Amino acid sequence: MKNPLWRRIPKELRDDLGKYIVIFLFMVITTGLVSGFMVAGESMKKTYDNTFDKYNVEDGHFDLSNKATDDMKAAIEDEGVELHDMSYYELPMSRKDSDAENDTAYGVRTLRIFAPRNDVNKICLMEGELPSEDNEIAIDRMYAVNNNIDIGDDIIVGDKLYSVCGFVALSDYSTMFQNNNDTMFDATIFGIAVVTNMEFDSLPEKNKTWSYAWMYHDGMPESEKGEKKQADKLLETVYAQAVMNDMTVETYIPRYQNQAINFAGDDIGSDTNMMKWFEYIVIVILAFIFAVTISNTLTKEASVIGTLRASGYTRGELLIHYISLPVIVTLAASLVGNVLGYSVFKNMGAELYYESYSLTKYVTYWNADAFVLTTVIPIIIMIVVNLLVVNSKLKLSPLRFLRHDLSRSRRKKAVKLPHWKFMTRFKTRVILQNIPGYVVMLLGIYFAQILLMFGLMLNPMLKHYQNDILDNMIAEHQYVLDSPVETSDKRAETYCVKTLRTTGDIDDEIMVYGIHTDSKYFPVKLRTGDVLVSDSYADKFELTDGDVLNLKESYADDKYDFKVTGSVSYPASLAVFMTEEDFRNTFDLDNDYFTGYFSDEKLTDIEDHIVSEITKDDMIKVSRQLTKSMGNMFYIVVVFSLIMFMLLVYLLTKLIVEKNTVSISMVKILGYDTKEIGRLYLSSTTIMVAVVTLIDILLSYLSIKVIYREMLIDMLSGWIPIYMAPWIYPLMFVLSFACYLVISLIQMKRIREIPMDEALKNVE
Amino acid sequence: MGDKSFLKISGIKKSFGSGDNRTEVLRGIDFEVAKGEFCVLLGPSGSGKSTLLNIIGGIDSPDSGYISINGEKTGDMDEKTLTRYRRKHLGYVFQMYNLIPNLNVKENVEVGAYLSDNPLDVDDLLKTLGLYEHRHKLPNQLSGGQQQRTSIGRAIVKNPDILLCDEPTGALDYNTSKEILKLIENVNQKYGNTIIMVTHNDAIKNMADRTVKLRDGMIRHNIVNANKIPASELDW
Repeated sequence: MKNPLWRRIPKELRDDLGKYIVIFLFMVITTGLVSGFMVAGESMKKTYDNTFDKYNVEDGHFDLSNKATDDMKAAIEDEGVELHDMSYYELPMSRKDSDAENDTAYGVRTLRIFAPRNDVNKICLMEGELPSEDNEIAIDRMYAVNNNIDIGDDIIVGDKLYSVCGFVALSDYSTMFQNNNDTMFDATIFGIAVVTNMEFDSLPEKNKTWSYAWMYHDGMPESEKGEKKQADKLLETVYAQAVMNDMTVETYIPRYQNQAINFAGDDIGSDTNMMKWFEYIVIVILAFIFAVTISNTLTKEASVIGTLRASGYTRGELLIHYISLPVIVTLAASLVGNVLGYSVFKNMGAELYYESYSLTKYVTYWNADAFVLTTVIPIIIMIVVNLLVVNSKLKLSPLRFLRHDLSRSRRKKAVKLPHWKFMTRFKTRVILQNIPGYVVMLLGIYFAQILLMFGLMLNPMLKHYQNDILDNMIAEHQYVLDSPVETSDKRAETYCVKTLRTTGDIDDEIMVYGIHTDSKYFPVKLRTGDVLVSDSYADKFELTDGDVLNLKESYADDKYDFKVTGSVSYPASLAVFMTEEDFRNTFDLDNDYFTGYFSDEKLTDIEDHIVSEITKDDMIKVSRQLTKSMGNMFYIVVVFSLIMFMLLVYLLTKLIVEKNTVSISMVKILGYDTKEIGRLYLSSTTIMVAVVTLIDILLSYLSIKVIYREMLIDMLSGWIPIYMAPWIYPLMFVLSFACYLVISLIQMKRIREIPMDEALKNVE
Repeated sequence: MGDKSFLKISGIKKSFGSGDNRTEVLRGIDFEVAKGEFCVLLGPSGSGKSTLLNIIGGIDSPDSGYISINGEKTGDMDEKTLTRYRRKHLGYVFQMYNLIPNLNVKENVEVGAYLSDNPLDVDDLLKTLGLYEHRHKLPNQLSGGQQQRTSIGRAIVKNPDILLCDEPTGALDYNTSKEILKLIENVNQKYGNTIIMVTHNDAIKNMADRTVKLRDGMIRHNIVNANKIPASELDW
């Protein structure tokens, strides 16, 4: 015979439909978002990884100042590579109807135009068709979106009118870096395009760059080190051939150094950690809500449970009965959430990547991690939390259930109160009597406050971080040169820099700077032997003076140890600062070596030697990227957490009112009016909600500090130190309290509706 | 009547509290009940009769002494075995009906049937209880008497060896109480269960096979009723 208690499940569901719908929806949205974003991230990443084979992405390329001769190509190919012509034209682009006066980017938009590629770096057609006529052009999808260009529109490239016939993604341009040395990319002003072979050949040669991609005959070496070794060897031949043929090698970029190919791959999927934490917190809150309501049900049904236990129902049977509904709801929500995740939310997640990168068409891959995180883990959390709560109660003897004696500790004597006014004493008694309820409230509100604080803190934190970076910039201009050349501007100051990597569990890029001992730009005077770390480095890796940093070269075996002697305020990057002399000695460089200049003025006499300039924009790219990809999510989290807060406070205050139903009914009989009763029972709760909220704001801050580190330590390259804008605390209190006031009106209505005969009913 | 020592209560002592607050509720109770016997535990409030019933039912434990049912001592059983024992052999009826509010009459009775490998036919039982017409009603749609009949149905549907009733008429009016007593009598006769009923209503002793009268935790009388009368003829 099937356990007849199962028949209660649909009835319980129906009786408390409102509550279950709210919880179900919360879970569905959370699961959907997390599963969708994780599936999108994973699918994008796999699709991206597969592009290398699917589109036969180059192993590297070099640009020459002239067309390579057949002999030259043959000589290079003798090194075990196959060369493919990837030459291109760069021409300005404007829309046929663009208004030069109102268009700030007019004249600076560029298209890099390629011929159709059939063997290497193949084209992915995203929409429309590839060009078949000479006046047709297919352009990069993201460039089209950013510039509001549709298929069928006319655009002017160079001085010729083209009709846009399709949108494409090139497998070697997933990120629109115009030059590999650029620190940022902008897919609004730079994009790629494809025209027919005939059209390609007719373009003006003065705009042409002779570019050649290579593929190794024996395939790409597995390690980056091997890749570097092979690429270095090939470079010698390319360089020698160029000199022999009276040409220069303009660029030489092995694949592992190609930002246009690699940048997106490093970024995709890195933000799922934040989603995981969001999921954990929400599920724990919901499990907590279930646990509280089940605990309340156990109290209400104490006599029934006592009778069932006395009749021979085992603890296990009742345990399964009471936790089955939360588990069923969780399972249903996980399944619906996953269906939505794989359909609706996945596309939203993918959209985020497509907004940033020119990725090829993605294929959805089953994501086992997402399934475990959104289905298995929530169910486990739900079972564990509820088991703990229900089991601890069901351990009580049947007799105690029959006697409604479920409290673990019993106050033997009443607390003696001072000679306060009656109402004050009454309210104090209500507080003392409901202390277990308030402890539960403290815990429940704590979870909601973590979520709320998280939602509120991130945008101001990112803004603060940006300002902090700008305030602590070493100089207005920071130039990187191709070789150490002198400038006539006396205000400029040389510096050295080198990028190393960490060696521990967390892989990160560390900038090692060599600075003048009497620098007018660097805020601290450096002495020989000083090794200062940037405060962001110290914060991320929890460094203190005397710690030893173990750093290594990215593509070589060289390792370096530095003993930290102090830190300096420099939030822009994880950096180590030492004197120029120490720098040269450490890296075995000439005495006159330097990398570039710091200057507050623009340097005009060395422009030909500037490889890149690190600008304010480059400095804040991490925070800007985060704001762009997650900014709106933060607002969703705020709304989400406030609804969660209201739900929690509603349930918890409801429990307190229910617990006091008989007393409330009794004081009604005695002649107290609703207002007075509200003052007696609700104002005590109001005071406690205020106290609990304040305590929880403090507790959530302490917790967020830990969670933040755990969440971002693998996600961020670099580090954003945690910062809480001071106005967040009062705002949290005001928002929480406003939510509580709404709930207290509902509870006031509940108090009003308690009938007087409640106190007169036979109390079991 | 069957085996005289089917239920043996031997030397049961029980006290609550400690130190100055220590109260001896049962001070050494000894008696035996035969299989199929209808035994009434009679006594004023605080005499220890409910505590004794709970100890017999295995939901409370004595400080000393033992209960033996059909030769098995409940004190030797661990919690799991005791639960299994209650499941297979005991039925409970309380003063308050303790029905599951969102299950209907039939389902509430089935809650008891589920515990037995060989339950009585639920529909037949509902007819015996006079509840068949009401089987689809929820507890809050029933009168007190109907609710108590349902709770008796839940207890006896598994055809327990012993039916333990704690003041089953305590919350009912005169007529309904008599109705319930008739039902219990009917059950005892029809299914042959041993019945232990706690009551403070002196009149009920007249329908019992045995009356054990308690006062201050001790047995004052243990009387076999040679001239028991039907429940319908009881008056108080």
